Amino acid sequence: MSEVAVSLLSRLGDFVAAGRILTDPVSLAAYDVDGQRPSAALLPASVTELAEILRFASTERLAAIPVGGKTHLHIGMPPHPYDLALDLSGMNRLLEYEPQDLTLGAEPGVTFAELARHLRENGQFLPLASPFPDRATLGGIVAVNADTPFRYAHGTARDFLLGAEFVTGEGVVSKSGGRVVKNVTGYDLHKLLIGSLGTLAVMTRLNFRTFPLPPGQKMFVAAFGEAAGAFAFCRKIASSALQPRIVDVLDPGAAELFSAAASLLLPEGCWLAVIEAAGHNAVLERHARDLSAMSREAGAGEFVALDEVQRDRLFHCLRDFSAMAFSATSTAIVFRIATVPTAIPALIGEARSAARAHALHCAILIRALGVVYLALLPPDRATAFPELLSCSRGLMDLCLNSGAAPMIERCPREIKNTLSVWPPAGNEGDIAQRLKCVFDPQTILSPGRFRGGI
Amino acid sequence: MQRSIIRDLEGIVGNSGVLSKPEDLLLYEYDGSVEEARPEAIIFPRRKQDVVEIVNLANQYNISIVGRGAGTGLSGGALARQGGIVLAFSRMNHILEIDAKNQRAVVEPGVVNLDLSRATEKYGLYFAPDPSSQKSCTIGGNVSENSGGPHTLAYGVTSNHVTGLELVLPDGSVLRLGGRTMETPGYDLTGLMIGSEGTFALVVEITVSLLRLPEDVRTLLAVYDSLEDATDSVVDITARGIIPAACEMLDGWTLRAVEAYVHAGFPLDSAAVLLIEVEGVREAVEAQATEIVEVCGRHRARDVRRARDAQERALLWKGRKEAFGAVGRVSASYYVLDGVIPRTKLTPTLLRIEEISKRCGLVIGNIFHAGDGNLHPLILFDHRDPDQFRRARAGGAEIMQLCVEMGGTLTGEHGVGMEKNELMPLMFNETDLDLMRKVRAAFNPVDRLNPGKVLPLGKGCGETRLRPFPQSAAGNT
Repeated sequence: MSEVAVSLLSRLGDFVAAGRILTDPVSLAAYDVDGQRPSAALLPASVTELAEILRFASTERLAAIPVGGKTHLHIGMPPHPYDLALDLSGMNRLLEYEPQDLTLGAEPGVTFAELARHLRENGQFLPLASPFPDRATLGGIVAVNADTPFRYAHGTARDFLLGAEFVTGEGVVSKSGGRVVKNVTGYDLHKLLIGSLGTLAVMTRLNFRTFPLPPGQKMFVAAFGEAAGAFAFCRKIASSALQPRIVDVLDPGAAELFSAAASLLLPEGCWLAVIEAAGHNAVLERHARDLSAMSREAGAGEFVALDEVQRDRLFHCLRDFSAMAFSATSTAIVFRIATVPTAIPALIGEARSAARAHALHCAILIRALGVVYLALLPPDRATAFPELLSCSRGLMDLCLNSGAAPMIERCPREIKNTLSVWPPAGNEGDIAQRLKCVFDPQTILSPGRFRGGI
Repeated sequence: MQRSIIRDLEGIVGNSGVLSKPEDLLLYEYDGSVEEARPEAIIFPRRKQDVVEIVNLANQYNISIVGRGAGTGLSGGALARQGGIVLAFSRMNHILEIDAKNQRAVVEPGVVNLDLSRATEKYGLYFAPDPSSQKSCTIGGNVSENSGGPHTLAYGVTSNHVTGLELVLPDGSVLRLGGRTMETPGYDLTGLMIGSEGTFALVVEITVSLLRLPEDVRTLLAVYDSLEDATDSVVDITARGIIPAACEMLDGWTLRAVEAYVHAGFPLDSAAVLLIEVEGVREAVEAQATEIVEVCGRHRARDVRRARDAQERALLWKGRKEAFGAVGRVSASYYVLDGVIPRTKLTPTLLRIEEISKRCGLVIGNIFHAGDGNLHPLILFDHRDPDQFRRARAGGAEIMQLCVEMGGTLTGEHGVGMEKNELMPLMFNETDLDLMRKVRAAFNPVDRLNPGKVLPLGKGCGETRLRPFPQSAAGNT
């Protein structure tokens, strides 16, 4: 922070109570984003405090990053600059929950685990399932548009976020959407906030639709010697009457990663299709019967139903794939690539070839037949960086040329010095910039972290 | 409109692509709402480039443009409130591609909703949003209004089923958002566009996702002697973790009007009926249907009938989807409202609507998507009687205010349009509305597209509302 900004620091203390502004280096280390440290972290306790802080920051042009459980701060480009962390973890009240209406309103700092506990007591759930659920907050999960193993059945936050209240970069308190399950009143500004990485506004209330917990669930794993078998199996499922809630595919690299990390007894060297059904016993039995037959037809070497313990372990692995892959080696890159089902086999084949050509290992999770999480894992750090960089560039081009929508979700900090984690902004970049200007004209919110340099 | 402008428009789409005679314009001064506004010309583009050229011409002559699909909208969204050109998409009605393997279709905006599902049926796929007007409404209109329908209880509204859009912006530039993939890095501009009621851009191509047709469907008709028992059943069904594909309710007055027209088999002496549908995997459907029958029985349903075959199912749905037409037979005019409340507030809300009906001295029928609390009160009036019309509008505004008081919203699927833009302050304060105005201006800075819609008209901007709401009903507008 500049000398001028240091003089502003004491004035920031006016906006929050004592103890809710942190300036000592030890405390601030927790707020590092890509190696950059803020000069202060503020912990507002109310919308009013947050709005005052943002008004001040806007006037003084202090760059601020909203922070929740600090579990996804690796996403995006390094901030430039980064003066303040706005820690929302203290705004953690469940404001409204009407189980019979299947709706809730919560502050952004509520952790996913805490919310899930409330919902479970009422036989409900929210189909977000974030890694580090004890720390990950609702605001953070929405801001990074984290996806989940339930995506196949329930989609993502855009499908069940009903409305939001937020404070813009100018400190203006605003809202859009509503609290009921169906609503087309006004413009859906809250949809813009999903996945916006805190570049438009700071969320202060999130209204969600909730879902009833199913009476039962059963997870199945089918193992195939070749990728083609796993894809053929998934195609059969997609064109059948079955309605599973999880359809994920693992390559042998991901299966190995999970086996090592979670004591899972998964077949080695195989492509695995992981399917979960939910419902009454008759529904689960029907899925077991049909899936088993379909897997045989597709050439599966093995088809097993998991017990609850194994199910939970595998579910957590599916949920945490990106984090697990990233921490599996000293350096790794994890891509998140959206594509259509028919393009997946070729994309994965080429990506694996490219990885081999660069002497990199691969671990791949294909989520809901539409999003490929691809981890490039260098066998050793010594040769890692140039190979990772070259392979990543090639992969980004490969995706863009094939109509896929890629981004790098995790990578070593050094990679970001030479390679953007975002694809180049398309012709929508101009509109995105105009919207940024509407919400945050002084560009103080998470500057430089988003696609198109926003 | 000046003859020279008409000639320029004809230069883009040919003589047969422009209407400007008074008798032609008359046909386009309506949609499905009670609003009226006459355009100065109607133009029918056939391709994207036509739309670009029309927008450029409108900029040259400083004329506003209003996009229109089939004109079935219920909030005046497709009416030329401030004159100008209505750009009717009815000739851009081609299904450009059905990508069955990826469960996607690419369509022009003028494709009729049901035509898409008919075209994809052979692949075992369909387009989920199913407004009651699906035989005639267009997918472009669905995108503009973020339309719903009875089956959105389980499957969501239009925004849940659109992955990509191609737009012509008010400056004449073409912009592609999203695509066939589930997501695109960056702001969700596709999500923002859907439901923007034609005030941001003109949609010229839509990529939708298609769902697999369920293997089994059960349609139940539960008959009640009390409205309260019917609404309690709705709450109890969802409380047990059952999300039906659809859960529709008709009150006694409405079901009698419908029965006289459709002969769907609704008992004439009942106080309410629930039309409930469950669909999906055969085993799940059977279990849910059994449980629903039990729940309805517990809430004193005097009969719960199961549709025996597809024909009976179609007849029951005809009773629901053609209800508005049925009401048209018994009343000179009717005003269809659209508000949402939390489903647990159904009973007190319906009682209050009954009070409003008495106070206005007008019959109000109720037919609605009970499962998601989306009410459609029908206020009957005679449009030839100005006092009745005034009372209908005032009663409508009061019901909207009631929905907001109950924790709900002004519209669940019909849009704000020019019907409710002055009611927006019931839900949003001036700061909220100002931000929405600025977002609109990011796309549509000179209000070239669909002016006078969605947001309240500003003071002193020279715009005059056609029929102002009574001050008392419009809250703090």
